[in-house]
Amino acid sequence: MCYRFLPERSVSACFPPFRRERLMASRKELSSVSSSGMASTGGTLDSPVKQVQIEGLVVMKIIKHYQEEGQGSEVVQGVLLGLVVDDRLEITNCFPFPQHTEDDADFDEVQYQMEMMRSLRHVNIDHLHVGWYQSTFYGSFVSRALLDSQFSYQHAIEESVVLIYDPIKTAQGSLSLKAYRLTPKLMEICKEKDFTPEGLKKASIGFENMFEEVPIVIKNSHLINVLMWELEDKSTVADKHELLNLSSSNHLEKSLQLLMDRVDDMSQEIVKYNTYSRNLSKQQQQKHQYLQRRQQENAQRQSRGEAPLPEEDISKLFKPPQPPPRMDSLLIAGQINNYCQNVKEFTSQNLGKLFMAEALQGQN
Amino acid sequence: MSRFFATGSDSESEESSSADEITPKAPGTTLKQSLLLSDDEEDTKRVVRSAKDKRFEELTNLIKTIRNAMKIRDMAKCLEEFEQLCRAFLKSKNIVDKEGVPSFYIRLLADLEDYLNQLWEDKDGKKKMNKNNAKALSTLRQKIRKYNRDFETEIAAYKEVSRKSFLPPLTCSSSESEGEAGGVSAKSFLKKKPDEASKSSSSGEDDDDDDDDEGWSGESKESDSESSDGEAKRQSMAESFLKYVLFLILTFKTWESRKHIEEEEEDGGEEGGEGWEKVKYGVPLEKPKMFAKGTEINTTVVVKKLNEILQARGKKGTDRAAQIELLHALAAIAAEHNLGQGILVKIKFNIIASLYDYNPNLAAFMKADMWKKCLECIDELLDILFENNNIFIGENIAEDSENLAVSDQPFRVRGCVLTLVERMDEEFTKIMQNTDPHSQEYVDNLKDEGRVCGIVDRLLTYLENKGSTEEICRVYLRRIMHTYYKFDYKAHRRSLGLQGETKSEQDQEESEGEDSALIMDRLCKFIYAKDRTDRIRTCAILCHIYHHALHSRWYQARDLMLMSHLQDNIHHSDPPVQILYNRTMVQLGICAFRQGMIKDAHNALLDIQSSGRAKELLGQGLLMRNMQERNAEQEKIEKRRQVPFHMHINLELLECVYLVSAMLLEIPYMAAHEFDARRRMISKQFHHQLRVGERQPLLGPPESMREHVVAASKAMKMGDWRTCHSFIINEKMNSKVWDLFPETQRVREMLVRKIQEESLRTYLFTYSSVYDSISMEILSEMFQLEMPTVHSIISKMIINEELMASLDQPTQTVVMHRTEPTSLQNMALQLAEKLGSLVENNERVFDLKQGVYGGYFNRDQKGGYQQKQGGYQGGYQGGYQGGYQRGGYRNQNQSNY
Repeated sequence: MCYRFLPERSVSACFPPFRRERLMASRKELSSVSSSGMASTGGTLDSPVKQVQIEGLVVMKIIKHYQEEGQGSEVVQGVLLGLVVDDRLEITNCFPFPQHTEDDADFDEVQYQMEMMRSLRHVNIDHLHVGWYQSTFYGSFVSRALLDSQFSYQHAIEESVVLIYDPIKTAQGSLSLKAYRLTPKLMEICKEKDFTPEGLKKASIGFENMFEEVPIVIKNSHLINVLMWELEDKSTVADKHELLNLSSSNHLEKSLQLLMDRVDDMSQEIVKYNTYSRNLSKQQQQKHQYLQRRQQENAQRQSRGEAPLPEEDISKLFKPPQPPPRMDSLLIAGQINNYCQNVKEFTSQNLGKLFMAEALQGQN
Repeated sequence: MSRFFATGSDSESEESSSADEITPKAPGTTLKQSLLLSDDEEDTKRVVRSAKDKRFEELTNLIKTIRNAMKIRDMAKCLEEFEQLCRAFLKSKNIVDKEGVPSFYIRLLADLEDYLNQLWEDKDGKKKMNKNNAKALSTLRQKIRKYNRDFETEIAAYKEVSRKSFLPPLTCSSSESEGEAGGVSAKSFLKKKPDEASKSSSSGEDDDDDDDDEGWSGESKESDSESSDGEAKRQSMAESFLKYVLFLILTFKTWESRKHIEEEEEDGGEEGGEGWEKVKYGVPLEKPKMFAKGTEINTTVVVKKLNEILQARGKKGTDRAAQIELLHALAAIAAEHNLGQGILVKIKFNIIASLYDYNPNLAAFMKADMWKKCLECIDELLDILFENNNIFIGENIAEDSENLAVSDQPFRVRGCVLTLVERMDEEFTKIMQNTDPHSQEYVDNLKDEGRVCGIVDRLLTYLENKGSTEEICRVYLRRIMHTYYKFDYKAHRRSLGLQGETKSEQDQEESEGEDSALIMDRLCKFIYAKDRTDRIRTCAILCHIYHHALHSRWYQARDLMLMSHLQDNIHHSDPPVQILYNRTMVQLGICAFRQGMIKDAHNALLDIQSSGRAKELLGQGLLMRNMQERNAEQEKIEKRRQVPFHMHINLELLECVYLVSAMLLEIPYMAAHEFDARRRMISKQFHHQLRVGERQPLLGPPESMREHVVAASKAMKMGDWRTCHSFIINEKMNSKVWDLFPETQRVREMLVRKIQEESLRTYLFTYSSVYDSISMEILSEMFQLEMPTVHSIISKMIINEELMASLDQPTQTVVMHRTEPTSLQNMALQLAEKLGSLVENNERVFDLKQGVYGGYFNRDQKGGYQQKQGGYQGGYQGGYQGGYQRGGYRNQNQSNY
């Protein structure tokens, strides 16, 4: 997967810092330009966005983008545009990012974004940058890259969200589109870049409260709604049979496969942590012994009337081992959780279908 | 000229003793050459030369090169050598101070200057010269002009003499005229010699020598007189000769004026010093006559002479070809005079030895014609040995206890035929290694293999009568080495019960003698019983196994291999034996394959093939590697280990056999363990090939052998034996691989059979889940196998719990039990396993935090967990009911965080 499109990608090595500054600045400028027509974004610190309202157009555009460009596990991404009304984020438009290819290495993403937004402004489209969207493959989106990008977005524009579109689930008959935001706690940690076990512990953050899901409402104009009703009337049952597809093993197998991979990663992380803590305790013991010896010696010296040994810097003698960053394991846990949710959801739906089918068979 | 200067050859020894610095230096090239033929043993033994001789020799050598360079107008070379000469002259300064400037030096200086001036005048010639040469010319001209100022008087004297003798100034052709002069002088000398000889009445060597000496000295005296009475004779003699004489005398005179003492000796010495060089040219003249005329040729004389010739052996500068010639001549003389077989044998030994010596470097190979000569000599030697029963030869007969003269006692000669033959055989290998295997030359050389075998055979019979056990073992091994890799077609045909088609062929067959198998058996068993060196036995065993394997005697070969326990300690033996071991293993594997023992074949070939260096391991070529891993020296050594081409094992055949056996094993295995997470590969290389095949973006029809096997594997995966068969056995594969086997048809039949069986197994593994039951009849029809075979295969699978099914006898069907977990269930199983290990790891972290026994978990609980886990695993096998016991535990676990 490549998240090449976002300068906010905090793998800042890829982006010279000035670029990010530039973008942020320009974004600020943009928002200030448009702020006149916008409600104040003060909001509560807890969560400035309580609801996401998406135009049908945006959904269609995202789906179309994936259909045309994404294949298999390839991921497509794009920018969401809209505005904030009270605690509601309205996404009214979006534009995709071009797929990355080898030969356009010097493609300037920032330039592209700016140009797009300017052009859209000319045709009177909302041009406030309110987040980004991304397709996903069997729900595997909880990753470091996503976290970093979303952090940069939220850092620059507080209200931004990330929309996750799951094409596979959608293909099974029900649209799967979810909006996520980083929790304020996680934001803080990311700001401090303190991913040590202690830091995470202090922030009391777990995989459950890393992301918060924001409810989505899809809003269409009345005309469209009317059209929809009409279409629904006209459509035959056969068109909807995808929903009733009984075969489940394929999807489940895939999910299990991915889940297993994550579990393997998790095991590795744990082993890493295990070695770390073992090393730490070993060192602690050594330190303790050293201190005791020192004390004894000093006591002896004192009894002999000599001056005690000078104090030495213990932390220099015993450098604590580098604690493994815990963010990765948190993310993995989040991802595992995500997979489990998916599987659970899927199986419960499928079980229902199976019972239904059985009942129907009995009737026939 | 040379003849004249050679006068000093004897006085030289006096001179050296009188000289201050006596350097016991190894005799130089020229000395040896002259002494080699001078009939004087004492001289040959030890030659001491003075520093003067050494210096002057160096100078003369340099002068010679300069003259050569002059001749070919190579100015650059001339300049270079001249500079060296000046340096050398400077080095010998103190000698020159004592002795005066040597005449030859002056001569060169004068000649060179003249020559350069002449060149300088020749404008056209100069234009034609290349830039380098022209530059060198001008530099040299300036240099020599400056240099010659120091020697003005001497040069003037020399020039005067040459003018006097009405000679044109010496030019580039000077050395030629020198040669002429030498010839003339030699003639003049020869004319005189008989007179001298007649004067001296005595015969025998020593006298002969004296005689010679007198001749020389007489000559020198005479030349003195000649010059003193001067002009009269001058015209009649060759001019150049006289010129030198005159010049010499003149220089003598200048020396005399400079120094008063030791003239006489100095003269002699000086001349001698110069003479050494020149004698060389005289040598060929004298060569043919080995012994002085009239010498009675008897054993001692010949032996003496032989020793003398041998003395020069191995020394630098000895003309080896000439030496061989000399030895041959000596042999002829010995034969001519009927000196008995003893001496002849001895000379033959030495001829062969010097033939081997012909190449100074052991790594280089002998020329084929040299080798053939050697072959003939050995043949003759063996002839003599066979004819004469009373010759004892042995390595440990001391030189002085030899008995070479014809007498009642048997001859005793020092030497070892076996070593000679072994060396000959090695040289043969070397020749084959260094010949392009695809050339006609190779075939021609290979034809001599028969002769080698013949010689080995003859030696074998000879040694069986006379040799010690060790020797017999050694010669047996030679014989084995020449036999083991050859397929005995005659025996093969006989075993098939085919008679030769024509009468003559039958006769030939009968005359051929015993089968190679019998020979091998006899020889090897002798070695097993008698040999005391480990190496010969190891080699014999390996060759024996190889031979067995080559002739499809699989069980004998395998048993021998297992009994010998060679696998355990082959690593300690030297590389050639290891190569032989590898060859044997490979041959064993191929043999197993022919016999249809696919598993054995695979195991035998696995080691060689998996390394990817089969070529190197079998000694059939070097792998391209970067120079870090081996330097030039190592490469040479490795090259020497290579097996000659005619003994090679076909690598493609080897690989094909390996891949096909891997396919027959791996494909059913893969099908059986499709969902197994910890499935192991049987053959890495085969998998590699499969992956390579998969990576192809566009799959065309197979071309190479590997592609054929990959395509066949794919077909087999689907249980499609017909396609698989057509990929493995077709025209292309036949010509590439299968036709190389002696029993092609049988091997092919075996292969088809194996393919059918393994395809059936694969089919059942892959598709059993879609069947409720399947009729054996249909299966037998599908795979073209007889019912009993199908029955047995399926029964075996059921017994081994590879197939969950039962046989229904009345209807002849296989009823599937359908207990195989589906892929989803398999996945779930794997996931559960992984989660188990995850929890375990997690617990360890927890333990660490809380101390081993502390914390929320006391030991009971932990035990309980493990019990639960056990039950859980058991539960899976029992039908997956117990799987959820775990959930409760997990919740508990989480709540404890």
